[in-house]
Amino acid sequence: MEEIAVSVENLFFQYPNQPNDAIRNVSFQIKKGEWVAIVGHNGSGKSTIAKLLMGLLKPKSGIIKVFDQLLNEETIWSIRKRMGIVFQNPDNQFVGTTVQDDIAFGLENNGVPREQMIERVKSAIQQVGMEEFLLREPHYLSGGQKQRVAIAGVIALQPDIIILDEATSMLDPRGRREVIGAIEKLKVKHHMTVISITHDLEEAMKADKMIVMNRGETMSEGTPQQIFSLGEKLEEIRLDLPFVIKIRNELKQAGLPLQLNDASLEGLVNELWTLYLNK
Amino acid sequence: MIIGRYVPGNSVIHRMDPRAKLLLVFFYVGIVFLANNGVTYAILTAFTLLLLFLSQVPFLFVLKGIKPVLWVVLFTFLLHVFMTKEGSVLYQIGPFAIYEGGIQQGIFISLRFLLFVLITTLLTLSTTPIEVTDAIESLFGPLKRFRIPVHELALMMSISLRFIPTLMDETEKIMKAQAARGVDFYGGPLGERMKAIVSLLVPLFIHSFKRAEELAIAMEARGYRGGEGRTKYRVLTWKGIDTVLLLAVAILAAALFLLRS
Repeated sequence: MEEIAVSVENLFFQYPNQPNDAIRNVSFQIKKGEWVAIVGHNGSGKSTIAKLLMGLLKPKSGIIKVFDQLLNEETIWSIRKRMGIVFQNPDNQFVGTTVQDDIAFGLENNGVPREQMIERVKSAIQQVGMEEFLLREPHYLSGGQKQRVAIAGVIALQPDIIILDEATSMLDPRGRREVIGAIEKLKVKHHMTVISITHDLEEAMKADKMIVMNRGETMSEGTPQQIFSLGEKLEEIRLDLPFVIKIRNELKQAGLPLQLNDASLEGLVNELWTLYLNK
Repeated sequence: MIIGRYVPGNSVIHRMDPRAKLLLVFFYVGIVFLANNGVTYAILTAFTLLLLFLSQVPFLFVLKGIKPVLWVVLFTFLLHVFMTKEGSVLYQIGPFAIYEGGIQQGIFISLRFLLFVLITTLLTLSTTPIEVTDAIESLFGPLKRFRIPVHELALMMSISLRFIPTLMDETEKIMKAQAARGVDFYGGPLGERMKAIVSLLVPLFIHSFKRAEELAIAMEARGYRGGEGRTKYRVLTWKGIDTVLLLAVAILAAALFLLRS
């Protein structure tokens, strides 16, 4: 049986001074090594889930387990060691005065000996392809580069799970590609569990599994293909479908007999050029 | 003025342990007061110029550092020239008389002031702000026993240093955004300009608070729990040259003590 990395059961959460629950009866499981995208419109509660998983917010009721360890006051620090998070704003999570200081920050907090720190900083920076920026100060870096440093800071701690809390939403397309590329490489190399919280469905297409959130509840859960076949339902909750999916839906409406529900551009192209051969 | 004036280099002075540099400046400021005649001031000046030479910082940068205080030096000089009434009269204009002692005193006091500024300028020119922070944390470390949060203060300093450029960028952006809405920051009567500044400061403060909150969450998520049980990535190493230069200051102090009148 595959190992379960994160398991959430009947989770409820309410922000202080708010009339309604921000999270209502949310349950899901994430397997080890899986890339799960949690998608939803602003205010759907997706970022709140990230903070709950890290123990930065305390649930009203419900259970969160990380590798079979129940998240509570006593286990919070040992669980945080197994999880790393990259936040939305590249500037507001850069603590160090230089790139290397920032990557080392988490290691310093965990009391890692200096000799080990130097090695781990070096290998982490290589994995995000930022070696030549080791001594740079943050204001000389682009948003994408800062986010890659943040990822390096997370992987230096060698966590099992990495959470991306809208990590690419403030970046330009190039920065976005850089960050996603770095994560894809990591996932393959370290078999890391990735939880990406996003409203960008293009990004979510890369995931193994998608969880769609709406108004604090899980609306549906499945592979990207299953989710994208929901079509209009997604647009009803104000999610913008990826370009390929839109084209596919339009083509179907125009009467083309498309069979598969592949979300990739390549898949669509293959289906189109073989369409008449199959006849 | 102190921040961001660092001149990169690889001289003896640059490579010194920042703790040694801080201590050197501290002792130096103490012994400057020992000098009280020509010989002692000459020795002191020679020592200071030697340090400047060793630092290989272009003289132009040093001059820039001194420039703002030159007027104060001149003022001190004139004050002493006119106020000291010792020795023989050199020159007399009506009720004002300039005495020999006045000239001497004026030169000595303004020289003392100049040396002060020179040595502190040398410190900021050859040491990065973060090195100064590390040195302060290390030197004040023993105060932790008296429950003074040395680590937290040093972290605060380093975070402020890190955010200075970020906030400068933000200030510029807000100024442009407000200018686009018709705010005039550079002209108009004083009252109007004050109001304009408010339209800059309010969003800047609100953003800073938001940043602070997000930064605190990010730090917590990365396992920050205060100074307890933390290791350090940047380390300071005390080298032979540090001991040598501090001993040189001690010898200087002894020389000044023996030769002063």
